[in-house]
Amino acid sequence: MKKLCLGIESTAHTFSVGILDFDGNIYSLINDIFIPEEGGLHPGLVREQHLNNFMKIINSALSEAQISVNNINLIAFSQSPGLGPVLKIGAWISRMLSQMLDIPIVGVNHCIAHIEIGRLKCNIEDPLTLYVSGGNTIVSAFESNRYQIFGETLDLAIGNMIDSFARDAGLQHPGGPKIEKLASKSDNYIPLPYVVKGMDLSFSGLYTAAKYLLQSGEYGKKYNLNDIAYSLQETAFGMLSEVTERALAHIEKREVLLTGGVAANKRLQSMIKYISKEHDARFEVVPLKYAGDNGVMIGWTGILRYQAEGSHTISDTIIKPKERMDQITIPWRS
Amino acid sequence: MSSDVKKEKIIRKGAEASLYSGYWFGKNVIFKCRIPKKYRIEELDKRIRTERTLNEARALIKVKNYGINVPQVFEIDSTTSTIVMKYIQGNKLKDILANLDDDLKKKYFYEIGRTIATLHKNGHIHGDITTSNIIITSEGNIFLIDFGLHEYSDTIEDKSVDLHLLKRVLISSRGSNYEYCFNAFLEGYRSRYREIDINECDEIIKNIKAIESRGRYIKPEDRL
Ligand SMILES: Nc1ncnc2c1ncn2[C@@H]1O[C@H](COP(=O)(O)OP(=O)(O)O)[C@@H](O)[C@H]1O
Ligand SMILES: Nc1ncnc2c1ncn2[C@@H]1O[C@H](COP(=O)(O)OP(=O)(O)O)[C@@H](O)[C@H]1O
Ligand SMILES: [Mg+2]
Repeated sequence: MKKLCLGIESTAHTFSVGILDFDGNIYSLINDIFIPEEGGLHPGLVREQHLNNFMKIINSALSEAQISVNNINLIAFSQSPGLGPVLKIGAWISRMLSQMLDIPIVGVNHCIAHIEIGRLKCNIEDPLTLYVSGGNTIVSAFESNRYQIFGETLDLAIGNMIDSFARDAGLQHPGGPKIEKLASKSDNYIPLPYVVKGMDLSFSGLYTAAKYLLQSGEYGKKYNLNDIAYSLQETAFGMLSEVTERALAHIEKREVLLTGGVAANKRLQSMIKYISKEHDARFEVVPLKYAGDNGVMIGWTGILRYQAEGSHTISDTIIKPKERMDQITIPWRS
Repeated sequence: MSSDVKKEKIIRKGAEASLYSGYWFGKNVIFKCRIPKKYRIEELDKRIRTERTLNEARALIKVKNYGINVPQVFEIDSTTSTIVMKYIQGNKLKDILANLDDDLKKKYFYEIGRTIATLHKNGHIHGDITTSNIIITSEGNIFLIDFGLHEYSDTIEDKSVDLHLLKRVLISSRGSNYEYCFNAFLEGYRSRYREIDINECDEIIKNIKAIESRGRYIKPEDRL
């Protein structure tokens, strides 16, 4: 039988367990997503939900894969970056499983995992990656043995910005898909702040202006929510496309990968696809199941690191809530 | 444009613009044309291209007064988002960086540091300091180009963001010897900036670190 890895994702909303073998064949993936009733993400509440459910999720993943826990040969978990209390749960469960089963354990950087699962599932070698989610907005590519960050947000992450605006407009979390739907019903563009600084971007001015439109006296008269949703998307995604294009022109990669929860957006997909074509680069979007936070990507990246470096010791498995992806060397790609 | 003006051949398709070489009343020039970006809706696209073209032309004219080497502007056409400017004969820093010996690296980056400090202390932010936007002539003179993202600002934050971009570009360039180059840059930057305010200068440099930590996963208490 092939060697199997169980990967645990636990950085923010999503607690997820994936099981796959060392060749990258996937046997199961189970997600449990915390949905805030109102407001943002409270670490205490997320932690409580994950703590209540983790055993159930692990068991479902095992039964979907039709294996016993004793068949697992490696445990991988999300070690960085993320919310401390949430990262701790994943680390704690993983150490417990590793010791109980007497099998190796490896910690994985969540952002690197998003890229690695994309390389696997899209069969792509060396992409420029646009990683867009609730917590991250990063343009990255492999260079000098690391996943370097070429561009990133200077303030809010794109998903967080859209979700916050949606909440202000009275829509339920997650707002991204709802805003996409509303936007598709309009072509009335209202000018909004477009802020690109080199290869970085800033969304806070855009958010403030869009929110202001909701409260303005003209709301419901000159324009409606569809129009603001449309203008918000066009502006924000125009910015994302521009920084991606700038990075692409600078480092001249031949492939472009779009990933993270916001990659689900069809309008964003079409824009990034367009710039890829302009620069003769192949465009791939990570299949949605693996584009959002998931345990399979953690498992796969864990396998890569384990094969390159062997097991981590328990003291290596301390969580690193603030670790950047460009702080980590990538032995499996040199 | 008259027949004394000739757009000859495309020399580069940049991120934002297509660049053509040609002649303008007997001078060797570059036509920088910000072409429509079809991924953006037309209205937004037009606004950005016009803004950036005017912005770049104004900045090029303005910063020349501080003795900074930038291409001279000959003509601006905002309807086609085109700037006609002097052709700077030389190499892009990006293309020669890996082959420079340490002494030259130090000399150039020190000088680039001084140039950027001159901009900053006069309230100009370049907005896109990368090794693609610096040309070194055969005499070893340093020219800054690509001022489309230029801004007027006197805040520490904007100046730090400007430096942060260069730092990252160096980190991720093969064969750049990032620390060596960036240190030489900072030395040059400080040497010029200290003429007005050394404390502010140190704050700008210190703030680069703060910017780096912000791009990380945003904590819930910092989220909206
Ligand atoms: N169709 C869509 N358009 C825009 N945003 C979307 C869409 N679908 C999901 N999203 C956004 O993706 C984000 C979730 O991303 P994900 O990578 O799963 O995790 P996290 O938020 O924990 O970083 C949310 O902000 C959500 O609104
Ligand atoms: N005045 C000039 N003289 C010589 N080469 C130039 C000049 N302006 C631009 N270039 C070349 O064209 C490239 C792209 O121009 P740039 O102004 O940086 O546009 P973009 O915003 O598209 O990067 C530069 O990297 C440089 O190689
Ligand atoms: Mg340029």
